[in-house]
Amino acid sequence: MRNRFRALASVVVVVAAVATTACNKGGDLKGGAAKGASNDLLTVGYDREPDTMNRYATHILEDIQSCVIEGLVTSDEQMHVVPVLATEIPTVENGGVMMRADGGMDVTWKLRPGVKWHDGVPHSSADVKFTVDAMIKGDWKPESTDGFDRISSVDTPDSLTAVVHYKEVYAPYQMQFARGTLPKHVLDGRDIDKANDYNRNPLGTGPYHIVEWKTGEYVLLEKTKNYWRGADYPKINRILFRFVTNANTRINQLKSGEVQMVALVPWDKVRELKGVASLRLNRVIGNGYEHVTLNEKHFPPFAELRVRRALAHAIDREQIVTSMLDGLVTTVNGPIQPLSWAYEPNVKSYPFNPGLARAILDSAGWKAGADGVRTKDGKLLAFTLITQAGFAIRENVSQVLQKQFKDVGVNATVKLIDGTSISSVWFSGEFDAMLHWWQSGADPEITLFFASDRTPPAGRNINYFADDTLTAMLYASDRTADQGKRKTLLQRAQKRVAELVPELILYNTSKIDAVPATLRNFKGNPTNAGPFWNVHEWEFANGTP
Amino acid sequence: MFRFVVRRAAQVIPLLLVVSLLVFALIHAVPGGPLSLYLDNPNVRPQDIERLRRALGLDRSLAEQYWSWLASFVRGDWGYSFADGRPVIARIAERIPATLQLVGVSTVAAVILALCAALLGAQHPRIGRMNMLVAVAGISLPVFWFGLILQLLFANWLGWLPSSGRASFDGGGFTDRLSHLLLPAGVLAVAHSAGWMLYLRGSLRTTFATPLANAARARGLSETRILLRHALRLSLLPFVTVVLLDASIMASGAVVTESVFAWPGIGSLFTEALAKRDYTVLMAFLMCASIAVVTLSFIADVTVHALDPRTRSPT
Repeated sequence: MRNRFRALASVVVVVAAVATTACNKGGDLKGGAAKGASNDLLTVGYDREPDTMNRYATHILEDIQSCVIEGLVTSDEQMHVVPVLATEIPTVENGGVMMRADGGMDVTWKLRPGVKWHDGVPHSSADVKFTVDAMIKGDWKPESTDGFDRISSVDTPDSLTAVVHYKEVYAPYQMQFARGTLPKHVLDGRDIDKANDYNRNPLGTGPYHIVEWKTGEYVLLEKTKNYWRGADYPKINRILFRFVTNANTRINQLKSGEVQMVALVPWDKVRELKGVASLRLNRVIGNGYEHVTLNEKHFPPFAELRVRRALAHAIDREQIVTSMLDGLVTTVNGPIQPLSWAYEPNVKSYPFNPGLARAILDSAGWKAGADGVRTKDGKLLAFTLITQAGFAIRENVSQVLQKQFKDVGVNATVKLIDGTSISSVWFSGEFDAMLHWWQSGADPEITLFFASDRTPPAGRNINYFADDTLTAMLYASDRTADQGKRKTLLQRAQKRVAELVPELILYNTSKIDAVPATLRNFKGNPTNAGPFWNVHEWEFANGTP
Repeated sequence: MFRFVVRRAAQVIPLLLVVSLLVFALIHAVPGGPLSLYLDNPNVRPQDIERLRRALGLDRSLAEQYWSWLASFVRGDWGYSFADGRPVIARIAERIPATLQLVGVSTVAAVILALCAALLGAQHPRIGRMNMLVAVAGISLPVFWFGLILQLLFANWLGWLPSSGRASFDGGGFTDRLSHLLLPAGVLAVAHSAGWMLYLRGSLRTTFATPLANAARARGLSETRILLRHALRLSLLPFVTVVLLDASIMASGAVVTESVFAWPGIGSLFTEALAKRDYTVLMAFLMCASIAVVTLSFIADVTVHALDPRTRSPT
């Protein structure tokens, strides 16, 4: 019997030995993966699997899609709108935008000649018209029909000219076709929701096409032959997007070289990646701003200007930015960010000054009680601050805010809510205050955040803030297509926002992408257009990392 | 015996109905729906939300939604995923092989581990004490943490194994697949074998003290022989029952492990569907999991009934 045990033990030893050998082979594979980053193959660790490749229907970032489907325009790393499939951006100055006497406007898009869909069919103005018609008809599930529903019709005088007739002046018209066009010859007369051949593997004009989508694992893109920019583009033959939803695993994969690039590194992981020699952390200022929303409807004391100003003075934003965020972001004082053409730097700011905050609250009649918390007319200056659970930096910042509010006699209780639920919470308006950001596209429209009639569901004014002067300025800015005039109106609006502090604006966002150190021409992108907007230019120095 | 099987089977249908109702109610009680993700995009306006709500059939009453879901589910029509518009049945079917592979391998490994550890422990008190230590650690370590530590150790520091995924892209040979399987299967095996080992150990100790074992000793049999021939045989039946029941939970419950190791099985599909509130996929997944649990416990019951005369009624 002892012998049998010895036999058993030796079996265990053999199994262990085999396992170890397998481990060593795994080591070889790992080396292979690290060598993989080259002009032949770039492997990207991606945080989620796309829902659909149809750019108009997806509700998540369009990184993979934008390698395949090009817009008439895109926005670059400086947030400038640049033409892609259009030859130029239509403006009032170049005659591309004409105001009509009936209050509407006509936008003329000139398409780039010689562009073909991946199947060889020429890209034409008929595709622009088909896209508008499909969006207006709306018998499928486009994410948003914003802008399209203000178009009455599209004329196509020739195959490379599309004249878009708007019923009214629509200021953000430049980005109308940033998501590209739908191919008429593929989708005409079909139920687009059910057209899975297109939705899973769309026809585009871009530098890449999809070779394989292995559900739950990866999407593999390969360079398109006969790309319209010429045989020199794109430089990298294949791009592999691996789906790794767990952020820790994604970072581990990046460090072990199994993936070579991760777009949008969570801020709390940046320190971990700083010492990795094979990586470069590319930072661009994001077109978004972190702030505390003050819901006046749910917590009436926020309706008092003096309370809002006192809270603004109570926050030490510099300390948060330097000690918690390692200077990854910078403090800002308004909702339109420095990269935008409409940015106004000279607005009222609220430097950290707890003494002043206390004095303002005292003068407003909020007196500290026995426990240090201020009251007025029997009402406590105590509210709940909600923020997204699992967003490490936000969880920490909310605790610092809690402490700093407490120092001036204001009691904030932090409540963490999971990422999916929190959207419906703020949409319902059932909260006091919320730490979060708004991320915007390249157009500087802020009407939906601040106009008094744009509270949910009509917009995103979840401060439930109402100021007639501001609302009038914002709507006037929406109704002018002249960028100079619009800028003046928006600059006045920014000053007004800073004056009235409807929300506590903290700092801008940063978009940090981890890319191979030897990858050239990677530029990043401040907007949701994503860093892949110029993927055709990317290349590895000497072809390898 | 036949009557027992029929009676037991008849209980399954109403049970599953109740489960389906509970699951449906629970899913809809969770705040945030399939449309809440769209809200983060400022360009999605109320008219867009209304349009999408109608398109997904979410404008109907809950009772109506449940009834139409149940009627189609029974007919084998599991509907379309809210997230990507593909048939739910296809989304689940494509994930099953990966889960079966992971759960199958880790169950076999866990059984072997538990058996070896319990048997060696019963023979050698020192190994027994060490077993206890390892078992307590195995039970108390959270799987997500243990998984990440193993990743750090084997993928980042030693570089022996890939940190996650099911196969290397364009690799995919046997060794490659095995090396991808080792970490997630190892984590699951350690987590489960710990409990099973303790169970088997306890049950072996009980049988060791029975008159049967004493009688065997009196006949001059060696301790090893008593252990393998008598005690193990007696302890094996309840052990198999526990393994069967646990394996059914494991099939649906490798959720955390699959997510940590980016393993493309139904567990990671569940995580995704939950984050997106993809009701149709969630319902189908939870029903499949319930059916698996109910079926395996049915098999376990019938097996015990067939093998152990004490569980049969005197009639």
